[in-house]
Amino acid sequence: MNPRAVTGLGILSTLGIGREGFFAAMQGAGPEGPTAGEGAPRAALTSFDATAYPDANVAEVPDFEAAKYLGDKGIRTLDRLTKLLIVAARLALHDAGYKNERRGAAAADNAFLVSSPARVGLVCSNAYGSLEAITELDRVATLEDARYINPAKFPNTVSNSAAGYVSIWEDLRAMNVSVSDGNCGGLDAVACADIYLETGRADALLVGGAESMSEALYLAFHKLGAFDHATRIGEAAVLMMIEPSAHAQARGARVLGEIVGYGTAFVGPERDAQLIHASGPAMERAIAAALDDAGVRGDEIDVVASGVSGLRAFDDVELAAIARVVGSDAGVVAPKLRFGETLGAGGAMGIAATLAWLGGTPIGPLVHGSVRANVRTALVTAMGFYGNASAVVVRAGTF
Amino acid sequence: MRPRVFVTGVGVVSSIGLGKSEFFRALEAGRSGISHVESFDASGLGREYAGEVKGFAPRDHLTAAEARRTGRCSAMALAAARMALEDAGLGEGALRGPRTAVVIGTTMGEAGVLGDLDQGFIHHGPRGVKRALLPKYGSTLLPITVARAIGAEGMVLTLPAACAAGNYAIGFGADLIRCGRADVVVTGAAEIIQELQFSGFVRLAAMAPERCQPFDLNRQGLILGEGAGLVILESEAHAVRRHARAQAEIGGYGLSCDAYHITRPHPDAAGSIVAMRDAIARSGLRPEDVDFVNAHGTGTKHNDAAEAKVMKDVFGDRTVPISSMKSMLGHCMGAASALEAIGCVMTIENSVYPPTIGYETPDPECDLDVVANISRRGKGDVVMNNSLAFGGYNAVTLFARPGLLPPPPVGA
Repeated sequence: MNPRAVTGLGILSTLGIGREGFFAAMQGAGPEGPTAGEGAPRAALTSFDATAYPDANVAEVPDFEAAKYLGDKGIRTLDRLTKLLIVAARLALHDAGYKNERRGAAAADNAFLVSSPARVGLVCSNAYGSLEAITELDRVATLEDARYINPAKFPNTVSNSAAGYVSIWEDLRAMNVSVSDGNCGGLDAVACADIYLETGRADALLVGGAESMSEALYLAFHKLGAFDHATRIGEAAVLMMIEPSAHAQARGARVLGEIVGYGTAFVGPERDAQLIHASGPAMERAIAAALDDAGVRGDEIDVVASGVSGLRAFDDVELAAIARVVGSDAGVVAPKLRFGETLGAGGAMGIAATLAWLGGTPIGPLVHGSVRANVRTALVTAMGFYGNASAVVVRAGTF
Repeated sequence: MRPRVFVTGVGVVSSIGLGKSEFFRALEAGRSGISHVESFDASGLGREYAGEVKGFAPRDHLTAAEARRTGRCSAMALAAARMALEDAGLGEGALRGPRTAVVIGTTMGEAGVLGDLDQGFIHHGPRGVKRALLPKYGSTLLPITVARAIGAEGMVLTLPAACAAGNYAIGFGADLIRCGRADVVVTGAAEIIQELQFSGFVRLAAMAPERCQPFDLNRQGLILGEGAGLVILESEAHAVRRHARAQAEIGGYGLSCDAYHITRPHPDAAGSIVAMRDAIARSGLRPEDVDFVNAHGTGTKHNDAAEAKVMKDVFGDRTVPISSMKSMLGHCMGAASALEAIGCVMTIENSVYPPTIGYETPDPECDLDVVANISRRGKGDVVMNNSLAFGGYNAVTLFARPGLLPPPPVGA
């Protein structure tokens, strides 16, 4: 692929809000450093009423008050997913120099400094939609009456609603694309964005993913017995401003890193009845395709931001695939041990971690190999639950 | 030079028929698929009609194991994919490998599975949530289910883009091929009607009682529909190599976002105009080359009036025949523009413009050449498919008789 510069990062995760907060939190832990929240007493959850789940341990965005960033007008009917995502967009647009910082500003008072609104768009991954909105409306319809469904909240039930609101709030008119591919979606969003840029449909795109914590999401993964131990189930909203490197260079933008390669693959399970499936061949092909696309060899990869999350059946397959394609001594990190399994946002969080490393933060927690000095090229990997896998190559800015 | 992209097969699960021939015969005859809702008890919701798919039995198209592990939406998508493969003359293993991608649009995916999970939770608390149902939720499963069945090993992707999802997916699929990322893309969209969505549209006061009458003075709103429409897109080289028959060439497509309101179209319709003009320009054509427009035409006051305004802006004083298949299918949400894209391909193949049924009283605000009630013969060389959805999602695809578009397609 043609190199795409990352010129801004808007991020909300359990490590805090904003790029600088994220980088600072990443500064706090090296290869042997603690994972976030480890050892500390758990604060009460704010994203949902967890009284029925005294042991719930989730990675939620701390102290999130949307009004602080968006003002208090027009946000009453927005769900958590939407509010997280709009704030991520606003932070990224500011970080990239596309807009002035307008903390608490209304949408109208929020003009572009670079490009026209018609040339800026959004490509955002999300795996499970706004379960909060859907369950709330289902509850009203079932326990009260369908006639009492709040029509202002009904649009929130549609998978792409959060992304739709971002375009309205931030005036992004080029296109508005939602992507859903489970845990791979955050990386697939980059592939989609590449196609939209390659075909000249925008000057710059906000690209990333979001997943919000809700009782339904927690309960689903709790019931499945996943992510209660090594990794917490989590939420995050992360959007990167991505533009063709030539465009970023021409406008003298500061570059956090460049995305230079992408690969994805799917291989279904052998057994007909099986649904959940970790595919080694798919992961290997996705990595090989990403390296090929970037024109780099496995031994040129300085570090791998893997999707390793404590689910052994998946982690083992992913690590083996990385070892086979990148090299058996590759340094592999599991960022999710720090900020949780954020599902549709996970891949984009992985890229955000590599941007922090390229910016000089310590690399960790390591799960295999060792860290090279002077990291310049990183691979980000993600494995889906159904046999899908994706990979992206990120390198330090070259201009 | 970017490769040309052809439609070489189509598959349909709809309220007016399963498969290409049934579907087109019904479109041509102006047959309505709108009927009394049977999949849930709609009495008391204020409206009781929809374009439900009543003749679809998953086991007619899926293996027992496939039927067990898929929800109704994925099952429809898979059935449509198999029909499309057969229509394209492709055996089940013919698309195996990394150069085949599957890209499917939807708004809600397996909304029925989620509804069942919610009901368990609401009535019985956390214990009532059925563990076995959990892995069947997630719109990710639409393309996964299809890819698995046909052996596709390239990109698998769901594009939720409100009621423009079908065009978003098909346009993106074509660009994947043009950018060299795939040789074949199985693409389109699938959607099912679920009680919550039905109630929501009633609450938005957007739903008509029994009929959808796009562009009619007395139109009363939309009627929901459901179904799946999938197409096989192939690069020219791939199609030529296997001596496939091209049913249509897909031209450029246009995208824009109103960035205005989550349910209302922008009053000056600027975004829709950009998307339509872009679709034409990216095909290397001019507005006068377009023979027929399949309207978004939902039958709501605002949407139809806005679309009429866009038509004037794009085509000026020239009247271009326009029609809305939603008068027959209802508004199949994410699947709408995919099913209608297939209607467009068949319009080209048959040189017949499907009618807008229930069109009785012209609306001065919609001063258009509506194909009223009876299908019309026409050239049908170049056909445009509008999708101007809630949330300001505009996506317009363009299809042409093979061999007519200037080589190579401009832009994308």
